Amino acid sequence: MGRVIAITGKGGTGKTALSAMLIRHLVKAGGGERVLAIDADPDANLADSLGVEEVMTVGDMREFLQDSRLTLPPDTDKRALLEAKIFEVLQEEDGYDLLVMGKPEGAGCYCYVNNLLKGIMERTVDQYDLIIMDTPAGLEHFSRGVMPDLDTLIVVTDASRRGLTTGERIQELAKTLNVKYKHLFLVANKVTEINRDKIMENAKSLGLQVIGTIPYDESLAKLDLTGEPLIDLPDDSLAVVEVRERIIKEMGL
Amino acid sequence: MAEEIQLDISPMYEGERIRKDDLWVELGGPKADGFELSLAASMDEVEDGKVTIVGPDLGTVPEGSTVPFGMVFKVAGPLIEKDLESIIERRNHALLSAISGFMHLNQRYDIWMRVGKGLKKKGVTSWEQIFKPVTVLYKNEMPFIEKMEVTVYTDPAAVKEELAKAREVYKVRDDRAKGLHDDDVEVFYGCTLCQAFAPTSACCVTPDRPSLCGAISWFDGRAAAKVDPEGPQFAIPKEGLIDEIAGEYESINSMAEQRSGGEYSRMALYTFFDAPHTSCGCFETVGFYMPEVDGIGIVDRDFKGATPNGLPFSTMAGQTGGGKQIVGFLGMGILYYFSTKFLQADGGWRRIVWMPKALKERVKEGISEEMFAKIATEEDVSDLDGLKKFLLKAGHPVVDGVVRTVDSKKITEGWKFEDIDDDIKEKVIAYIEKTGGDIDTEKMIEELVMSEGQFMQVIEALQEDGVL
Repeated sequence: MGRVIAITGKGGTGKTALSAMLIRHLVKAGGGERVLAIDADPDANLADSLGVEEVMTVGDMREFLQDSRLTLPPDTDKRALLEAKIFEVLQEEDGYDLLVMGKPEGAGCYCYVNNLLKGIMERTVDQYDLIIMDTPAGLEHFSRGVMPDLDTLIVVTDASRRGLTTGERIQELAKTLNVKYKHLFLVANKVTEINRDKIMENAKSLGLQVIGTIPYDESLAKLDLTGEPLIDLPDDSLAVVEVRERIIKEMGL
Repeated sequence: MAEEIQLDISPMYEGERIRKDDLWVELGGPKADGFELSLAASMDEVEDGKVTIVGPDLGTVPEGSTVPFGMVFKVAGPLIEKDLESIIERRNHALLSAISGFMHLNQRYDIWMRVGKGLKKKGVTSWEQIFKPVTVLYKNEMPFIEKMEVTVYTDPAAVKEELAKAREVYKVRDDRAKGLHDDDVEVFYGCTLCQAFAPTSACCVTPDRPSLCGAISWFDGRAAAKVDPEGPQFAIPKEGLIDEIAGEYESINSMAEQRSGGEYSRMALYTFFDAPHTSCGCFETVGFYMPEVDGIGIVDRDFKGATPNGLPFSTMAGQTGGGKQIVGFLGMGILYYFSTKFLQADGGWRRIVWMPKALKERVKEGISEEMFAKIATEEDVSDLDGLKKFLLKAGHPVVDGVVRTVDSKKITEGWKFEDIDDDIKEKVIAYIEKTGGDIDTEKMIEELVMSEGQFMQVIEALQEDGVL
């Protein structure tokens, strides 16, 4: 199985932007790794950030399977069916694939379908060298057991104390949910000269290792505002430079 | 004939996915027609190892394109019968996927296959170079196959035509599968997937009785137990029949005992009352016994209102769930309503008195014709009193006693007053006075809300009292 890197953080800190920039870097660097991007945050939109048009989601397919119980031929192999449906929602982009998890479950029992999904996700993830996952701070998909074990968990924070304590809470949550990871890193976003020292100090007091400080970036803010994909960021954008020159290296990619 | 090419074949390639960058040709899938069909034939109808190609051969298909594709495997052998066709066809996924550079997903008319560039590099130019080795694979895997012949369709019109024929075959198979009952099989399947939150829940899945959650049919249980016999779905041999009508077996009892951690020692399949099936908590519907009418109501998750006993689904689900056996409440999957064994020990549909309209419509085909109009919905009644009136008027079997279909045994006595108090007596006297003793049964039922039997009970009591 490939290396699984999950990016999380409080809403609005820029975890989706970082996920998109990591993928952008991997695609542009052309290292030949098979890369899978997973959008696991129903409130964010990694697909948008990557410039991928409206896509069907794993959640849609899970619902499809739930809804078609009474109409499927009786001896349908539901595992095979769901596996094909998940392959169908897997977006094949240039240099990487994208899987959007979509909305969480509705009412009713999802034990069976999630159990099928767990096996399918394992086999899917198995096909890649690197998996970059944008995941909400609540780590929702992990509690269903459908996500693979992590190699690296990156918490993205802004300058706020609350952003930083998210890192701490996620550690606790990961323990409760039994989410395993080898490395936990912090990336600070929207960093200015004024708040840099304070962020580093706070991170240190919480015992979190900082592997990047992304400066406030005009070009990033502009794309964000117009809703254009971050994959189009220029190579000399301050954020892109920090990802390329520091974060990627610190992670050992 | 195309030159033979040694393909790289191993079970380890089963999970291999052909990605966009490695794609040579895509077959079927979401963008094109496709189908697979295995057919049993007689020995002289099959030419072993022969591959017939109807339409363009692989070498002529432009790289990166998606084409319609059909494949028909004709198999023969002294032991091969029609029933084996779908079992043989089900092996397609594992065996075709075992070829390095070849991907197979899904089944029947939904197949989605990809040929990778790797096979092109190896020098493959013809379908024959792929499917001839496949016939050998099958014969190794299933030694009862003595001969196998393949026809590959790539001509779009031919694929369409053959697909239509294949659909007919699938339909016949489905009808046979739908007609499968508990009496036809030797093995049931257990499921303990929901023990995470319902620790003593031990589901038994049979052809007549799918899982409570509705997600797992007997076929799903069979498929899962085959892949991982130690997993959450496992085989239960159908052994040690104790009660045919209630569906009690020694093997199910011991499964229930073992899997519930000793909490329960008996579990019967087709009854509501004595040792019913455990209820997990995420069942699709819950049945509830109403002693006031001696009948059973059913409510599903989507019905948000109160049932005639005043309780909504959520409250009853809370009481019933957690893997318990609760007499008077039972979690049930919707597919169970289509079974002829549906609560057969308790009278089946003859014991059902109320269900939400939407659910009633949804399972209409499962409800016995004689009972459909006699089952009340939220549009007919809102409380127990209204329900009583409805059942009396409809002539529901619970009123005068239920004779169960399975053995024509009368299992309930019908409505009876346990205690005839003065209120009831006075009501009856007043009614007799009003009508001058000229009793019209229908009108009496409507006015007094009691059955004829109950009315007679009161008359007898009044006679004993010397009033009449």
